[in-house]
Amino acid sequence: MQLTVFNGSPRGLKSNTRILLSHFQRGFEETPGNSMVIHDLVRVNDQEAFRQAYAQAETVFLAFPLYVDAMPGIVKTFIEETLQPFAARESNPPMLFLVQSGFPEGIHSTFVARYLKKLAARMNAPCLGVVIKGGVEGIQSQPEKAIAKLLDSFYQLGLGFGQTGKLDEALVGQLAQPIRFPKAVQTGLLILSKFGLVDSGWNIQLKRNGAFERRFAQPDCENEAQ
Amino acid sequence: MRITILNGNPNVENRAFDEYTARLSEALLAGGTQVTTLTLRDMDIRYCTGCWTCWVKTPGECQSKDDSHLVRKAVINSDLTVMAAPVVMGYPSALMKKAVDKLVPIVMPYVTLVQGEVHHVARYPHYPKLALLLEPEVVTDAEDIEIITDLFRRAALNLQSELAFTHLTTQPVEEAVHAVNRL
Repeated sequence: MQLTVFNGSPRGLKSNTRILLSHFQRGFEETPGNSMVIHDLVRVNDQEAFRQAYAQAETVFLAFPLYVDAMPGIVKTFIEETLQPFAARESNPPMLFLVQSGFPEGIHSTFVARYLKKLAARMNAPCLGVVIKGGVEGIQSQPEKAIAKLLDSFYQLGLGFGQTGKLDEALVGQLAQPIRFPKAVQTGLLILSKFGLVDSGWNIQLKRNGAFERRFAQPDCENEAQ
Repeated sequence: MRITILNGNPNVENRAFDEYTARLSEALLAGGTQVTTLTLRDMDIRYCTGCWTCWVKTPGECQSKDDSHLVRKAVINSDLTVMAAPVVMGYPSALMKKAVDKLVPIVMPYVTLVQGEVHHVARYPHYPKLALLLEPEVVTDAEDIEIITDLFRRAALNLQSELAFTHLTTQPVEEAVHAVNRL
């Protein structure tokens, strides 16, 4: 099976999306004859190349980080400039999707997942599924051991897809968890957030950049003293 | 009331959309509302790169020296921001999405629990309500409008706001004015 992947992360080669895709690829290509090519949509001027890749695709995998609760601007441009010209075709290659986000719960990505399923229908393309994974921001600064399970899940997902042409629904369901935190966890998080204990990662970066004292800046407010 | 209309029509030849937006603006002005319209296609707005400079290096400001600060200023100093755009492939134009992505600096990187979910903390003391003005495609159906409305309701929640209403250009302008006046 040939898999044509479009990486919709504005961070391109350095993105978390790319990391997840690379582990999916490792599993996918274990099946002899399978190959996967990744196109980075951050190269927004390459729409003609993307159209050629889409035209020749056997199966399409569109992956991106959640930006303001939907797809990043570069992905919307891709949808308009590359996918739209093919929407009138009677049938198009099957599509699968990955939406990853920094929010820990899957709920944030379920709304754009509904859009993606409709997008596949609009393209007259079978939808092979939408993989949702939260809590991905920051994985590049975590120790290898801490993200080993996550990366293995994507390897397993790729392995299964490479063997069967289908996503492992049970694994997809596990990856999307928690959709929402249980009440007890919510209470704990609320207490921690009140004391700023969930913000330490951001504060470390702010201090490192000499910006900590300006962290509450309101540069666009007309009525407030800066 | 101060209203900002973000015109996300990418196509200068789509005069009908611009005329509809202009009629809405005129009707609101006639009612004594202060209206600022930004035509996004005439502005230099670059894609968000996800660098988080606006959160960890220059809090509240995008590192990109584009016109997105004008959008943020107009949005944050309004009482209502109308996101106006043609629907393209089931979602408002890429031009509009590009501008919406650049609103990230108006919230803090910090998070808290809102309605039982993790969301970002406010940077500003006041946020406008949001509204959608959409020009449907020929194939746009009720489900598309529901999906878009839900997505912007979620975006509003993350941007410390709420989605006040969704209005279609197939409906009379007066109905949009009524919707604004009901706020």
